[in-house]
Amino acid sequence: MTAPHLDQLDHQLIQILSLDARISNRKIAAELGVTEGTVRGRIKKLQQDGMIAFTAITSLGLVDSRKLAFIGVQADVNRVKEIATEIAELAAVNAVMITMGRFNILVFGLFSELDKLHDVASDQILAIKDVHHVETSIAVKTVKYNSRIVRITKPSKPE
Amino acid sequence: MNDDFPVDEVDMAIVEKLRLNGRATNQQIADMLELTAATVSARIRRMEKANKLRVVAVSDFAAHGFNVLMQVAIEVDGRPASEVVNELAEFPEVFAAHLVTGRYDIDMLVALHDFDDLSALLLEKFSQVQGIRSMVPAIAVDVIKYKFDIAPIDAKEAM
Repeated sequence: MTAPHLDQLDHQLIQILSLDARISNRKIAAELGVTEGTVRGRIKKLQQDGMIAFTAITSLGLVDSRKLAFIGVQADVNRVKEIATEIAELAAVNAVMITMGRFNILVFGLFSELDKLHDVASDQILAIKDVHHVETSIAVKTVKYNSRIVRITKPSKPE
Repeated sequence: MNDDFPVDEVDMAIVEKLRLNGRATNQQIADMLELTAATVSARIRRMEKANKLRVVAVSDFAAHGFNVLMQVAIEVDGRPASEVVNELAEFPEVFAAHLVTGRYDIDMLVALHDFDDLSALLLEKFSQVQGIRSMVPAIAVDVIKYKFDIAPIDAKEAM
């Protein structure tokens, strides 16, 4: 995928909206010295190109000390995309990427209890046909994390 | 104001709507949930003030020109892993860094503009960090799912 070229105004918009997405177009326009129409048009374009998405991030549920866990999966290379897609359908799973390395699929999830992680890794993922091996690892401490820069994936419906 | 108010069903319903579209107006959310716009506005503000909620734009790695993503597992030797991870977390290329259990000690997400940047990162930056025994990369070739909407909210973040 080649990314569309973003100019300085796009980056300023992203910066403002990454702090507060509920700010009005009028306020942004005044702050950046452009028209409301420009702001509206730019935001629409950035959204359409998959460069930005608007969402709600909550710290709710963090009180129950959910831990980030990594599940490395070794699966048949010729079925890797289908298997990754199947894993992505599991609600307990937050992220799935196909990788080249020690594993060919990496899975990330937030789990409140160890047996939930075991259930997903060893009962659900390992049970998928042509999955040969899973390994889990738990993040005991997160030293750095940027919740604003992500991979925006398209809804998997149209294909 | 008490920051530790219990979040009720109305709050959760509003958060659900914001997860789908963070730029929905108070009036649109109010109409969908049969509330008043004033209630929606007050509820959002209350959760934001208590650092339970941020409604934000997230941007794609590609919007910042990062075209290479890799997960790197690190084995530490002769030095506490918590020291090594703090040093690694200072590099801007490192987007996430966690101390983990298992065969490796540190797991991190690295983003690069292109593969040419890898030699400088490895030879000029990572090589200066004491205590790294081995590094195993997993290069992301396709991201199937990436959905992290629960994150610690830093009180220092601008509102």
